Amino acid sequence: MTFDILLPGITLIPILGVLILLVWQKATKSQAAIIGIISEGFALIIPILLLSSLKNNGEIVFSLRWIPNMGISFSLALNWLSLIFLLTEVLVTLTAMIYSLGEETGEKNSNYYYALLLLFSLGMSGTTLANDVFLFYVFWELMLIASVLLILLWGHGEIRFKVAFKYFIITHLGSLMVLVCLVTLYINFGTANLTELTQQASTLAQNVQIFLTLFFIIGFSVKMAIFPLHIWLPDAHTVAPMPVTIILAAAMLSMGTYGILRFPFTLFPIEILQNFAVWMMIAGLISEVYGALMALAEKDVKRIIAYSSVSQMGYILFGLGTLTASGMQGSIMHVVYHAIVKALLFMVVGIVISVARERDIRNISGLGNKFPALCVCAAIGVLGISGMPPLGIFNSEWMIFAGGFESNISMALTVITLIGSILTVIYALRFFGGIFFGEPKPEDLSGSTPRALIIPTIAVTAFLIIEGLMPGPLLAWTIKGLAGIFGGLN
Amino acid sequence: MTSSILIIIPIGILIFGGFIIYVVCQNFDLCNRVEALLTVLILFGALIALLMLYQQLPTITKNPEIYFGMETFGGVVYKPDAYGVFILIIALIVGILITIFSGEYLSKDPRYLVFYPLVLMTLAGLMGIFLTKNLFNLFLLTELTTVASSALIAFRFQQEISIKAGFKYLIMSSIGTMLLLLGIYYVYRSTGDMHLYQALTVTDTFTRIGAACFLLGFSLKAGVVPLHTWVPDVYGHAPSSVSGLLAGVLSKSMLFIMPVICLRLGLMNRELGVYLMLFACLNMLVGAIRMLKQPLLRRFLSFSSIGQTGYLMFGLGMGFYYGLDQAFSAALFLFLIIAVMKSLAFLCVGIFEYYYGTQDIEILKGAAKEMSLPAVCFSIALAGLAGIPLLAGFIGKWMIFSTAITAGDIFAIICLVIFILSSIISLGGYLPMIVKLFDTSSESSKTLLFSSSGRRISPWLMIPVALLSILVVLMGVYPTPWINWIDQVINWIVV
Repeated sequence: MTFDILLPGITLIPILGVLILLVWQKATKSQAAIIGIISEGFALIIPILLLSSLKNNGEIVFSLRWIPNMGISFSLALNWLSLIFLLTEVLVTLTAMIYSLGEETGEKNSNYYYALLLLFSLGMSGTTLANDVFLFYVFWELMLIASVLLILLWGHGEIRFKVAFKYFIITHLGSLMVLVCLVTLYINFGTANLTELTQQASTLAQNVQIFLTLFFIIGFSVKMAIFPLHIWLPDAHTVAPMPVTIILAAAMLSMGTYGILRFPFTLFPIEILQNFAVWMMIAGLISEVYGALMALAEKDVKRIIAYSSVSQMGYILFGLGTLTASGMQGSIMHVVYHAIVKALLFMVVGIVISVARERDIRNISGLGNKFPALCVCAAIGVLGISGMPPLGIFNSEWMIFAGGFESNISMALTVITLIGSILTVIYALRFFGGIFFGEPKPEDLSGSTPRALIIPTIAVTAFLIIEGLMPGPLLAWTIKGLAGIFGGLN
Repeated sequence: MTSSILIIIPIGILIFGGFIIYVVCQNFDLCNRVEALLTVLILFGALIALLMLYQQLPTITKNPEIYFGMETFGGVVYKPDAYGVFILIIALIVGILITIFSGEYLSKDPRYLVFYPLVLMTLAGLMGIFLTKNLFNLFLLTELTTVASSALIAFRFQQEISIKAGFKYLIMSSIGTMLLLLGIYYVYRSTGDMHLYQALTVTDTFTRIGAACFLLGFSLKAGVVPLHTWVPDVYGHAPSSVSGLLAGVLSKSMLFIMPVICLRLGLMNRELGVYLMLFACLNMLVGAIRMLKQPLLRRFLSFSSIGQTGYLMFGLGMGFYYGLDQAFSAALFLFLIIAVMKSLAFLCVGIFEYYYGTQDIEILKGAAKEMSLPAVCFSIALAGLAGIPLLAGFIGKWMIFSTAITAGDIFAIICLVIFILSSIISLGGYLPMIVKLFDTSSESSKTLLFSSSGRRISPWLMIPVALLSILVVLMGVYPTPWINWIDQVINWIVV
């Protein structure tokens, strides 16, 4: 029996959930959460059901006529590359939804809150699945709009208006650059279907290909928050409510990576990309170092972790820039591991803020004795982000650096990046040591950790350890995922 | 011949309907709503007649024998074009919705009796402009539209500011019509005729000067920068329903009559294209920049309207400069969606104004709490105008993008960059409006005392707004039928 017909369900069932939530005005928070989690759960179950079919066919495609006279269809495709990103995104969203239950976010109007979370996730899963450039852009913008609304409606403080505005404008600028590329492709071949475009794109004139690659990379780098396009990230992450921050940092940033892999890397031959390889590596390096330094300089616990994202995205871009199989494989794995670690760290930060009622790291210390479980989770998260074996990021960083050395582009760059990763250890340890060691501060720590928050945190910690110990399936998937890149890379 | 009579029926219905309504309502002292309903009936009649005409269009446009009027010297010829009928259908639909809206919106005004005949006259004039093929007749009908709409703008003459706005519109538009007259003079001097049944076979300097006069005159009426100065004052102070009609349909439609006349008088396609594209850039930038930080909603919408005039000109300009059919379909589609979104936005402002007596967004902050439905509709309109995906505006944006990239030369790309720039700047105008409307967190000590008085939003106001919102979403989610329609229209245009 084949489950291929279920593919559109990944997007349609969350839409159904959204509709139910919009109509059900009187839903309490837990009722809304149940609807949200169930409909998001389908987005997790369906890809798993499709796994066997995916193994046989390599790709599952669903297509429906939408705007035939513009050559636009509602076309979805699931392949190994999109599967990895899809599962990451859905898992992160589910975690955030469960974590929200222990938070005060969304107490009021919880039906809208969960509907927007679903839409946010829908935007991301649609982005990964879209097999039509028009549809891709629609989902891409849906992701942005839903997240802006979440920040606007549930963000902290009056500043959220300005922050949401800045976030919207800057990322929209990136989106428009992507749109220019998408329309150019669409015009040149008269079709919006990505499969057809993939087959034909390398016939474009060389300078057009270079132009498109440049615009794609810059446009997606805005979403990845690569220095100097990161300026929206720290504020947006700080102001957003914690569950939204988790999705933003752990899932949405990786959509930029997916975009780069799906568009320039899949469409154009490696010769075109080689023009940009060294620049991507340099940009990655700068982001890595800059993000780490800013994380060291920040006082706000949430901003420390936010800047750490800028730094980690630097690794990913660096890995992509090597243009080697192991570099890209490392980048994809880094996306997954970073999602887990970053979700974990933000969950820890959320608990720290909720027990200490304080965000300045100078005013928090000595939580270790009082909250041992939290301390252990934080320790594992911090070790994870520092790249300690056997936790996941060690594997991915290993592959990224291996890619760097393989690529023969610049040995020096790779060495600097490798050495730069020491900064990650420094800020991670500063974060951990500052919060959990020393004299207990503030004095009036409120009771115990909220159980609704600590349980998902522990679950994610366990997941991180499991993923780190058993990278096998992920490795296999990433290798298959790279099959379409550069028209079949070995 | 039945089909030649068919050409004149819609316009006849409107003009006679206007007179009848005026006389009946004066004598029987009917209330506002009844008058609105009667007007809707008349508009419906005209719409049906127009749709019948639309059915006959393929035969009419292909057959040079079918027209209404006399082709002799000084005679008046009426002959429809496909795009003209398309625009008129949109105009009538918007007109119907606006009339329904006015059924409640004007209930506080003592002068409602003259409102509906004036709306009918404005639409009749517009209809004539698109049907007539005689320059002098064109002039007269333009004047009819101008006079009727300036009376509409100054409708609330108890307010001094409305009088000023109406006067400003009258003066500016009269300059425009005077330019048309001057243009007619030059054409007449050179050719001795005022027919524009076909393109002039012999063109000389004088007809080209005439063409330039027409170009300027219609540009003024369309609000092309730098002749846009009347726009914010007029739309800002006219009643919302009138602003919706003017901004959504009337002034934008001038952009579509302008090229036809000018090309027939000997202007080159490429010249017209350059003109349109250059000034489109100015329009887009001025509209986007001036739109920022405008607290008064209607004034804000007027500046955004200037920007949209720019988008339309950009689409049309590419069509003429590069000879791209898809540019024309982009322009027609833009016209359609702008008419819907713009009138929707103005009508929503009208609802706020009707119940709160203000259109200042600073006072209306958080109005969404009480008036969730109009606020949502207003947000749909603004988000649509901003080009957010799954709303009508995005399809238009996509079409403009793809046309410019198809054209592909440096001029189009520069204009496209300006288009992108202006669409980003204008986000800075649209987004804060939506945010402020939903900003319920700030102090709720404001004087919005609507729901406490136990009133509900009148269905007369809500039905047109809801219909237009549904249209905006529908056109964004499933644009296929509309695009099919426009493709059909484009195919029928005989160049």
